[in-house]
Amino acid sequence: MGEKSPVIIHLFGFLDVTGEVVMMWVILAIALVLSLLVRRGLKERPGRFQNVIETGVEYLDNFFEGLLGHERGRKYFSFLASLFIFIIFANYSGLFPGVGQTVYLKAPTSSLSVTAGLGVTTFVFLQWAGLRAGPKHYFKRFVSPMFFMLPLLLLDEIIKPASLALRLFGNIFGEEMVTEELYNIFPIGVPMVMMVLSLLFCALQAMVFTMLTSIYLDEVTEIE
Amino acid sequence: MRSEIIAIAAAAAIAASTIAPAIGQGITAKSAMESIARQPDAAKDIRSTLIIALALMEALTIYGLLIAFMLVSKI
Repeated sequence: MGEKSPVIIHLFGFLDVTGEVVMMWVILAIALVLSLLVRRGLKERPGRFQNVIETGVEYLDNFFEGLLGHERGRKYFSFLASLFIFIIFANYSGLFPGVGQTVYLKAPTSSLSVTAGLGVTTFVFLQWAGLRAGPKHYFKRFVSPMFFMLPLLLLDEIIKPASLALRLFGNIFGEEMVTEELYNIFPIGVPMVMMVLSLLFCALQAMVFTMLTSIYLDEVTEIE
Repeated sequence: MRSEIIAIAAAAAIAASTIAPAIGQGITAKSAMESIARQPDAAKDIRSTLIIALALMEALTIYGLLIAFMLVSKI
């Protein structure tokens, strides 16, 4: 948390590129290439590759529609699914050999700056979606049971994304620290136990992040 | 002397913030399992609610962990 990541490239003199940013570029490139490949070879009768991607997208679709309902699930699918795909790729990237050991590649979500950025994105999106869904309802929500709840509810709006960011960061960072400690104690075999567990936790954290986001979204955009 | 006190404080922070949410999570998981056993049809809904509840409790542990890391870095 305390230490700053070392800067590897000074872009245009004022943009500091760190290992996390490089890893995010790699993730974005992989996601882009995958989606372009799928789009180019779309067929009525899917092949093996398209089948895998379709199953994944269908699972995500069912997941968000179960939480938000059919109409809103479809409407906000692009944002929520992008968030999920990015976070799950970012979490799993920390498990590749060599990532985290050098300054050039680091798991993005093990840095508070990245997760705070995701939190801010979520915050802006929630406010925008709430205003789009109905300005009257949006402002009424802040004084909903009683008007003196206003400061508490305003604070709640800020705490929600902050806790999302801290939860993701704490889980991934803590996991990395535990793996490193185990490696220091006994380098062969023992860290694998924690890494097998992190296979589960990485997916779970990505799911929890998007699930909570869609629940907040449900609260914001619900119109009686 | 100061660094010893900080070390003890870090240990106390992570211990307290692990024990209390662990009890809460245990109770939550127990009642979720009981209700799944009683109504296997509702297992899907119960599971997603359970994960949200566990994640919210897990956040408390994470806050403690972060405080402990901050304290350790001050030694």
